[in-house]
Amino acid sequence: MLDMILSLLRESGADAWEVTDSQERGWEFYFIRHRLDQHRAKLVEHIWVKVYVRSEDGKFLGSASAEIAPTATRAEAEATIRELVGRAAYVKNPAYTLVKPDGGEQPAAEPVAVERIARDFLETMEQLPETETEDLNSYEIFVSEVRRRFLNSEGVDVTSVYPSSMVEAVVNARRDGHEIELYRLYKSGSCDREQLTRDLSETLRYGRDKLVAVPTPAIGKTAVVFSTDAAREIYEWFIARMSAGMRYRRISDWTEGKPIAPEFRGDRMTVEAVTKLPNSSANAAYDDEGARIRPRVLIREGIAEASFGSRQFSQYMGLEDSFQPGNFAVSGGTATAEELRQGRYLEVVEFSDFQVNPFNGDIAGEIRLGYWHDGDQVTIVSGGSVSGTMADFVQDLHCSREQRQYNSLLIPAVTRLEGVTVTGAE
Amino acid sequence: MKAPFSTYLTEIAPALKQLVGLLRKRYGWVSLLATDSKGFSVRISQRAKNVGSETMMTERGCVVRVWQDGLYSEAAFNRFDPADVEGLCAKLCAELDAQLKVLRELGTAVYETPALPDEERTLFVEMETGRLPEDEDIPALIRHLTEVSDAGMEQGRDMLDCMVSAQSTHVCKMFLTERQDLRQSYVYSEGGVVCMVMRDGRNEMSHEGVAERLGPEIFDDLSDALKQALEISQDLLNAERVEPGEYEIITAPDVTGLIAHEAFGHGVEMDMFVKERALGVEYIGKRVGSEHVTMHEGANTVVNVASYAFDDEGTLAGDVTEIDRGILRTGICDALSALRLGTVPTGNGKRENFEHKAYTRMTNTLFDSGKDRLEDMIASVRHGYLLRGISSGMEDPKHWGIQCIVERGYEIVDGQFTGKIIAPVVMTGYVPDLLGSISMVSPDREAFGTGGCGKGHKEWVKVSDGGPYLKAKARLG
Repeated sequence: MLDMILSLLRESGADAWEVTDSQERGWEFYFIRHRLDQHRAKLVEHIWVKVYVRSEDGKFLGSASAEIAPTATRAEAEATIRELVGRAAYVKNPAYTLVKPDGGEQPAAEPVAVERIARDFLETMEQLPETETEDLNSYEIFVSEVRRRFLNSEGVDVTSVYPSSMVEAVVNARRDGHEIELYRLYKSGSCDREQLTRDLSETLRYGRDKLVAVPTPAIGKTAVVFSTDAAREIYEWFIARMSAGMRYRRISDWTEGKPIAPEFRGDRMTVEAVTKLPNSSANAAYDDEGARIRPRVLIREGIAEASFGSRQFSQYMGLEDSFQPGNFAVSGGTATAEELRQGRYLEVVEFSDFQVNPFNGDIAGEIRLGYWHDGDQVTIVSGGSVSGTMADFVQDLHCSREQRQYNSLLIPAVTRLEGVTVTGAE
Repeated sequence: MKAPFSTYLTEIAPALKQLVGLLRKRYGWVSLLATDSKGFSVRISQRAKNVGSETMMTERGCVVRVWQDGLYSEAAFNRFDPADVEGLCAKLCAELDAQLKVLRELGTAVYETPALPDEERTLFVEMETGRLPEDEDIPALIRHLTEVSDAGMEQGRDMLDCMVSAQSTHVCKMFLTERQDLRQSYVYSEGGVVCMVMRDGRNEMSHEGVAERLGPEIFDDLSDALKQALEISQDLLNAERVEPGEYEIITAPDVTGLIAHEAFGHGVEMDMFVKERALGVEYIGKRVGSEHVTMHEGANTVVNVASYAFDDEGTLAGDVTEIDRGILRTGICDALSALRLGTVPTGNGKRENFEHKAYTRMTNTLFDSGKDRLEDMIASVRHGYLLRGISSGMEDPKHWGIQCIVERGYEIVDGQFTGKIIAPVVMTGYVPDLLGSISMVSPDREAFGTGGCGKGHKEWVKVSDGGPYLKAKARLG
């Protein structure tokens, strides 16, 4: 099928083209308590085609894309490509170039042991330290081998083979007829038994605490400490603001060589794109456009240093040599996690859905479990919400020297934002 | 015109039936869902233009569901050669057997469930549409959306960009068992205008959408959407933060829909009853809202983006009264959960696409209308906000907590708008408190289908929700 599509593309009259052929073998297991609700297998292939047409004066490069089903006939595939060429001619984007072969060696494409990884997850979930009062309500396990081949008209032909896994878990805790639940969604490459057990054990402990939580008081503005996966949202906002797309669209005004905040009363962070993180599901050697992923410092000690992004937006920003990284690491904390947990603060470990708006930096989230530290008193709280804007927080952000990995993000284990508005539930 | 059923699915139907027959020799029950849904997606802004053929529901592939010894198993595939059905059958069985071997070795217990019924049934539905996405003149659409974007830049103030989008999907699905053959074809479309503005270093983004179970003809006139988006963008730039506290609120139909969906809709998805994850199971027949609250859910509740003829498990579309004048009557249910709960499925078994498992999912979720005039509702507010525009929400079926992030609020003091605008607004609280506080309901009702719905943080499907204006009390922050 792929050969037929490549041959059609070469004959199509398109000025350039890209093809991604992604094959996935997936195993899935769904449990209610520890009883198997259903199991599923997935054997699929997706072929995406993008064609490019240059304007006569060379100033514009239009593109149009489509998926061609692996069951498509030659006539169907030919009609789709012809249609794409016709459409691309009407899409007037300033011209840019596609990725060229870099001459480097391709990493070996090792097959993924789907069965072994699935077995590891199944065993780990079965052996979690549950008790009579804290246990798993339900969980879902997804394990896949992804084989992704990318080709373009410049001669790039690269293949990445990698594992991609996900576990969704719902934890219950109960006491005196009252039951609560907490939700977790973990993504990873394969199964890291130790980390999964540690994280879910922590969640079981939070479940116990939520049972005795009282409504969050109307605290007003205070310091909020983030020590669980909600913190990812904060750092993803920093990363997004260094993307060429956000900068080209003028949503981000961060500029190379300039500080990202008018003044720093807190820590000056360093944000880097890294090629690999242990057991990350984003360890592919190449990005979606066939560019090799390399290490790059995006922000160094609070000073914007380099952007990243697609070929199109990177070139619009004058960045020739770019790529779309899969993994990021954030460092720069000057205090320990313990030192950040001083004074008056609210540590929120569970949100309904904590969000940082990538466009304006507004933060918002309903508190499902928090610890309100007021002097010597610690009150376990639930309900109410946090709000504010990152533009205010970035100047006075403190993060720990210790780091914690959430799949493709390695970030400070503890982050403290000052002056967050906390709406109580009382 | 009628949206014609997929020629591809029609052609492969005999071979797929052969596959069902072969699998039936091995398993006690077999069904197959085959999909062939085509579409387009066009996004035009001043900074970048994008043309693609993918939408949330474009797909081509199949999933078989088999049952044996109390256990359901599924295999999804999209490489299908009608000339080698036996080969495919052997491959799918081998993959499922390999999984069962691991499960047996680990001593995994099974949640035993009976086989689904399989009564003789055929259905062939081609729904009405104005135009088909596959026939759309995309260059003309690009020109039209570019004109709208240009007009936005010209008419707007503080504009960074004006993005205009249009997506249309022709959905074709076929559900087969030994005795059933159901086929449906329909078109839905959605699009809108996004205005990105910046003033004094502050960024804001407004959105106004259109969505219907119709074809690309809904994009012919986007002038209202543009006008609205431009006005909202200025409101957002002028907005302040709300002083946290409990307020009287009037929810516009879009925010009413968000409450219907997040605050209550997820809480009565009955696969959550099976898992004992929903508080709703304890409230059937009990009061959960005021007398003014009646809520419907179903593909037949209104005609919108989630209005199909049958769901992804072959259950015909329904219209369920979830809450009747404040009393919780029932929930919505997929086919397997219905078997486990001893009830009937409601036509709400949906998949993100053929590759995904079916869960109980919402379709169109709406509050019923009332009799109170909006002017009277506004006049009755001492201090509160008219809430408009939705950003996001998150369900909490176990505890009935609410998280709704509303785009903006317009202050009302002593029955008059003060001109003060707040944004964004985080609305939190306890579902029965919120529904119990509903004291006035307007006669008009609207449904909105521009959004998607996840279950937890995954499994995205098309839904619509809405209702009339509601007056209630809520905590805002």
